[in-house]
Amino acid sequence: MPDLLRVLPLIAKQIRRRPLRSALTLCGIAVAMFLHSTIDAMRDGVERATRVTAEDSVLVVYRENRYCPFTSRLPQYYGDRIEAIDGVARAIPMKIKVSNCRASLDVVTFRGAPPEQFVELYVPDLEIIAGSVDAWLRRSDAALVGEALATRRRVVVGDRLDAAGITVTVAGIIRSDEPQDENVAYTHLSFLQETSQRGGTGGVVTQFQVKVTDPTRMEEVARAIDAEFARDPDPTATRPEKAFVAAAASDVIEIVEFASWLGRAALIAVFALIANSIALAVRDRVREHAILETVGFTPARIAGLIVIEGSLLGLVGGGVGALGSLLLLRQRPSIGMEGLTVEFTAQPGAILLGLFLAVALGLAAGLLPAIRAARRPIAGSFRAV
Amino acid sequence: MIGIECRALTKKFMKGETTITPLDSLDLVIEPGSFLALMGPSGSGKTTLLNLIAGIDRPTSGELLVDGLDIAHLSRSRLARWRAEKVGYIFQLYHLVPVLTAYENVELPLLIHPLSRKERHARVQRALELAGIADRHDHYPRQLSGGQEQRVAIARAIVADPPLLLADEPTGDLDRESSTAILKLLRKLSEDLGKTLLVVTHDIATTDYAQATLHLEKGRLVTEPGEEQRHA
Ligand SMILES: Nc1ncnc2c1ncn2[C@@H]1O[C@H](COP(=O)(O)OP(=O)(O)O)[C@@H](O)[C@H]1O
Ligand SMILES: [Mg+2]
Repeated sequence: MPDLLRVLPLIAKQIRRRPLRSALTLCGIAVAMFLHSTIDAMRDGVERATRVTAEDSVLVVYRENRYCPFTSRLPQYYGDRIEAIDGVARAIPMKIKVSNCRASLDVVTFRGAPPEQFVELYVPDLEIIAGSVDAWLRRSDAALVGEALATRRRVVVGDRLDAAGITVTVAGIIRSDEPQDENVAYTHLSFLQETSQRGGTGGVVTQFQVKVTDPTRMEEVARAIDAEFARDPDPTATRPEKAFVAAAASDVIEIVEFASWLGRAALIAVFALIANSIALAVRDRVREHAILETVGFTPARIAGLIVIEGSLLGLVGGGVGALGSLLLLRQRPSIGMEGLTVEFTAQPGAILLGLFLAVALGLAAGLLPAIRAARRPIAGSFRAV
Repeated sequence: MIGIECRALTKKFMKGETTITPLDSLDLVIEPGSFLALMGPSGSGKTTLLNLIAGIDRPTSGELLVDGLDIAHLSRSRLARWRAEKVGYIFQLYHLVPVLTAYENVELPLLIHPLSRKERHARVQRALELAGIADRHDHYPRQLSGGQEQRVAIARAIVADPPLLLADEPTGDLDRESSTAILKLLRKLSEDLGKTLLVVTHDIATTDYAQATLHLEKGRLVTEPGEEQRHA
């Protein structure tokens, strides 16, 4: 280790020696690692938005065959019948309004819920990072806005949020582990019903959020709810919310899956870029390596210098790329479709893993040129010009 | 102080079908602490001999003892470590690393020794002063004249304080004045520091500084220089 510190300035000077070549290499590595990290965050976002976990205890009841929230119209009185079903703890009616139903990068989703029930059942799982629930309760046009949505739309408490023909006043900003909560604005149910009213839609809601008593009985309860309404004029389709996301986002998921191949290809690009740069550098320095060995550097040490140079390129380029990716992800980008959101967030673990990969690839890319340099005869290297 | 013994030392190179024999069964004993000049026409095997003694090339056959050690049979890494302690090599073309300053070039051999920055600094400074180039420590090779580059190269060769110095035409590319200065410096290293010096040269002036002169011709030592060499 002290060895390494002593030769580090030498390696740094070698990298700076050909500024253009090094800059181009680093630029390429940075772009590739940016791509890799960002795609990784997309994959991770899909994973978190769609995979039902053991802790999930909320079912969503929609109108059967609905495409977008606005085609899902259920009578509000269904709520009482749902709550009567065994295994159901609570059923909260909700009205959804979205600015755009298709897959889009800037969707604003409003969810209207009865205020008391919302406070009782939702607020305990949310972190209010600005404003207050009281303020939300006091104003009929108030909204509790997810942090991601607030960041994306650049709104703070007191601002007005305008989308889908609705204007709400931001009463609080909420933070949650659930990507959906992070990307919606919760309003009073009656407010959303009134603003949507075009000739008597009062008493109509989009969906019910059903809290089950026992998470292991989710499927059973879902079947029971759908059976209850099977013969009604408005039959239902009940599933965990994440299952709806997975269905709605199937196109997006496919694209992200395809993109993850690009992410892997980016890693190959990193390897190729570093290998090329190091191979050229080693060819330039045949005589210098002979000098180093003449003054006492062992072949292994010379190989080590080369390998470290490769990893250093990986570290610096990868670091810049990861930083770029972090900056992008700080804007909380997300894709919304049918009122549901897949959010891409920076996972520190994933970023670190990416950096580690870049270093490892740099190391691997330097290995072959390093071995070749270590094997080249010294005396011959001085003769060759 | 280091002595050298060569017995029937032979080096052959294969060039396609033909075999070149730059060193042909050479016998040579160099006493510890001596300052020898080695002369000979171009292609007579001078550099090859120096390379063998420094362990940066291997003999085809024969025996080679440096400081009593059979270096021909050491591994490459062992040789490198051995050189780090025992050998300073001065090249005709200086061979400084262009991206490093004079100071950093001289520091290079010390990077593999477990020395603190301060200790390294003291040694580099001393070597630069001995070589008379301390005032140019922060210059890059391209900012130095040939004579100055060679002084830096000498400082690099002596910085780790090796007992054996090998120099391959150290004044070959220098003007008279610079050559004389370098030769005086080499003599000083031999006389004051007791180093064993073997200096390959084309320059007859070198023989005035050395204790003895060896003549190499077609891979063998000759007592008197042959025709071509006297007219060189
Ligand atoms: N690595 C090598 N490969 C092939 N031939 C070599 C090599 N090194 C030296 N020679 C040949 O050996 C002969 C002696 O070379 P050298 O020792 O450099 O001579 P000098 O230094 O006396 O001018 C020359 O003919 C040279 O071409
Ligand atoms: Mg020569």
